[in-house]
Amino acid sequence: MAAIVLDKLSKTYKVKVREEGLKSALKSLVKPTYKEVEAVQSVSFTVEAGEMLAFIGPNGAGKSTTIKMLTGILHPTSGSANVLDYNPVKDRRKLSYQIGAVFGQKSQLSFHLPPVDSFRLLSNVYEIEKSEYEERLTQLAELLELGEFMNTPVRKLSLGQRVRCEFAASLLHAPKILFLDEPTIGLDVVVKHSIRELITKLNREENATVFLTSHDAGDVENLCRRAIVIDHGKVALDMSVKKMKYDYLNKKVISLKLKDTAAIPEMDGVTPIKVTPYAAKFSVDTKIAAIGRVLAALDSENIEDITIEEPPMEEIIASIYKGNRKGGEKT
Amino acid sequence: MRKYMSIAGISIKNALAYRANVTGRVIFYFVFIFIFFSLWSAIYKGNEIAGYNLTQMVWYICMTELVVFCSGSSIFGSMNHEVKSGSIAYQLIRPWNYIFKKFAETLGNITFSASIFTLMAIILGMLFVGPIKNFDPIAIPFIIVSFILSISMNFFILMSLGLLAFYFEENSPFYFIYSKLLFVFGMLLPIEFLPLWAQGILRFLPFSLITWAPAKMVVNFSFEHALAVLPLQAVWCVAAVILALFVFSRGIRKVNVHGG
Amino acid sequence: MFMEVKKHLKLIAKYFAFNLSALTEYRTSFLVQVFGMALNNASFAFFWWVLFDKIGTGIGGYGFQDVMFLWAVASTGFGIASVLFSNTRRISGMIMTGELDTYLLQPKNPLINSMAARMSASAWGDFLYGFILMVLIKATLGMWLMFGVGIFTAALLMTAITIVGHSLTFYFGNMEVVGGTLWEFTITFSIYPESIFKGPVKALIMTAIPIGFITHIPLRLAHNFNWGTFLLLLGVTAAYCLLAFALYMGGLKRYESGNLIITRM
Repeated sequence: MAAIVLDKLSKTYKVKVREEGLKSALKSLVKPTYKEVEAVQSVSFTVEAGEMLAFIGPNGAGKSTTIKMLTGILHPTSGSANVLDYNPVKDRRKLSYQIGAVFGQKSQLSFHLPPVDSFRLLSNVYEIEKSEYEERLTQLAELLELGEFMNTPVRKLSLGQRVRCEFAASLLHAPKILFLDEPTIGLDVVVKHSIRELITKLNREENATVFLTSHDAGDVENLCRRAIVIDHGKVALDMSVKKMKYDYLNKKVISLKLKDTAAIPEMDGVTPIKVTPYAAKFSVDTKIAAIGRVLAALDSENIEDITIEEPPMEEIIASIYKGNRKGGEKT
Repeated sequence: MRKYMSIAGISIKNALAYRANVTGRVIFYFVFIFIFFSLWSAIYKGNEIAGYNLTQMVWYICMTELVVFCSGSSIFGSMNHEVKSGSIAYQLIRPWNYIFKKFAETLGNITFSASIFTLMAIILGMLFVGPIKNFDPIAIPFIIVSFILSISMNFFILMSLGLLAFYFEENSPFYFIYSKLLFVFGMLLPIEFLPLWAQGILRFLPFSLITWAPAKMVVNFSFEHALAVLPLQAVWCVAAVILALFVFSRGIRKVNVHGG
Repeated sequence: MFMEVKKHLKLIAKYFAFNLSALTEYRTSFLVQVFGMALNNASFAFFWWVLFDKIGTGIGGYGFQDVMFLWAVASTGFGIASVLFSNTRRISGMIMTGELDTYLLQPKNPLINSMAARMSASAWGDFLYGFILMVLIKATLGMWLMFGVGIFTAALLMTAITIVGHSLTFYFGNMEVVGGTLWEFTITFSIYPESIFKGPVKALIMTAIPIGFITHIPLRLAHNFNWGTFLLLLGVTAAYCLLAFALYMGGLKRYESGNLIITRM
């Protein structure tokens, strides 16, 4: 069952053009010239209910514009969006009962009051019946491991506790779609890990469709099964994260710990990264050189330890962005 | 000295950047003068009250407002902010240097405001009531000195009040009360409107010396007045600087002792 | 339609309780701000007292008690407006920074929702000051009755006028200055005797920007009640509120079409 359907969704802005200098400044006051910026160009894709989607792209790619059109904050120039069978533009109010959002930078909780007070206010905004609200709160408290600290002013909470409360706030009304924007930004490794576990649990237990925007490759890698890369307003890539990791770069990095200095095999597709007296690191382009052949070319007697890795997610994503820039058209 | 001048230069550039801010203040200044012009016009019927006629009253308010609008009163907020944010603790320089550095920084803003509002004051005065009768150009140097002393006095007092953030969580009441005392003891009405015994005391307090002293010099200059107020303005100006130095050095010591 | 109004009134009430809780978390700071503001307003009473004492006569038919009545209505009216809808003054800012989007994501009217989300602590000082003044000046029964109504029409008109000013941001880009100035205008012009304003200014504050209805008309009614003027007061208040609402919602449509986003891109 499709939760979100985008069909040739487009958004074009008219931006005033102005060059440097006083003369142009005056000219633009009297007779302004406009340039058309195609922020989103004919984007189409479908998201199934319960899916966990990573929606990534470089800054200015059109991500937030697309999300705004999906939530009804912005009207598309052409094309359509269908979210939970609603037209976000026409039925924004009705749709808003079904969507939740967590913005990494913004908070829905009052800094000075305990989270429960903010929860109660939100229950009013979303018109949740008292009994239903209390049941829901208990449920969320268990799911998100919210303890007594729900009753402590937010300013006294640890970051991890705060973030869990932010999630609770956005889930009170049991939204069917959750928009997460940079949910782990600024969090330390331990908290990041627990929040990622939390999101996975939510997706499973609530069957909420998760629409994740993040510049953190770890978020993408650990949470989402599918990733859509947006660049220059267009869909640059739409594939499973797994495929992206294993197939996109066709690259493996081999690290060796050696007994004695050894040279890196000279073969097509093998690129040295680092050589020291007792270690060697190099990358293999598996499209050119089969991994097996590369390994066979090594002196196994000399090897003390070997590690074979995929390139980190950051590199993969960066190369997607770069690749698109190179192959991209005029700006 | 040159260091301070260059800082002043930068601050003029900064002041120009706050153009939108200026528009708001200019409008507010205009509204204020207009209201008082309307009020005095309704009250005065060609007579004099407490020794002032209509023309003088309108010019009076133009002048007192000028002082208030030009004193770089944002210094209160910025001192408040620097203390609260702790960035003041990083100013590892002597109190003397810090106080004057701040003054130099604000000088650009003050000069910029002063130019604009002096122009506005004169334009509005001329527009609403015409020139002051028997205005003697000899008054001008005295007026300029008096204004400089007033603005400086006001600035350093506000700075001191802002620095009270070292001691008080919520120090905005100090600003409120101070500015209301300014309002009431000389800005809205010349102190001649108040009973004699009050005038006697107020002549020695900074509030009237900041507003009434220079304004009266414009609308009703006399050497007696100049002689009476200028020395006192100078004394209070120095006192205000000392106050600022005192609050700063005590406060910064407190911060360093307690580690911010 | 009626259900919607009821829902939003309930929302305002909930925000009220919520915001007040947050402010009173910091007891001293809250009380200091309240007291400070009341004292702040009292300084103007001192000014008027000195002035009336010195000139010995009324000003344009107003006595000291009359001017204090203007202050009482304006102060308490302002208090109500800023206690309930402190964010009204930040409308332009919210539009320009995108803070408005948060409210658009919620299932409530964005104007009401965003305005009620904040409460001013010092406004409580203004709110109380009006009552204190009314007692101190030994207000007449007529004054008390008009005070009772006037503070609400004043609050509504002040809010509506500010909304109109700030809504221009939707149409013309950052009009923060306009909104802010209109707000100051409104307060400043309402606390001086009616008759000092003549000609075009008088016409303006009685029509396009109905500041005259905030304090001056209630004072007139306090002295000489007549149903016609009273109904006019209510009518103008209601009409201006509708205008403000329509202007804002119309501007919101423009915002959603994305024409304003240019400035934020």
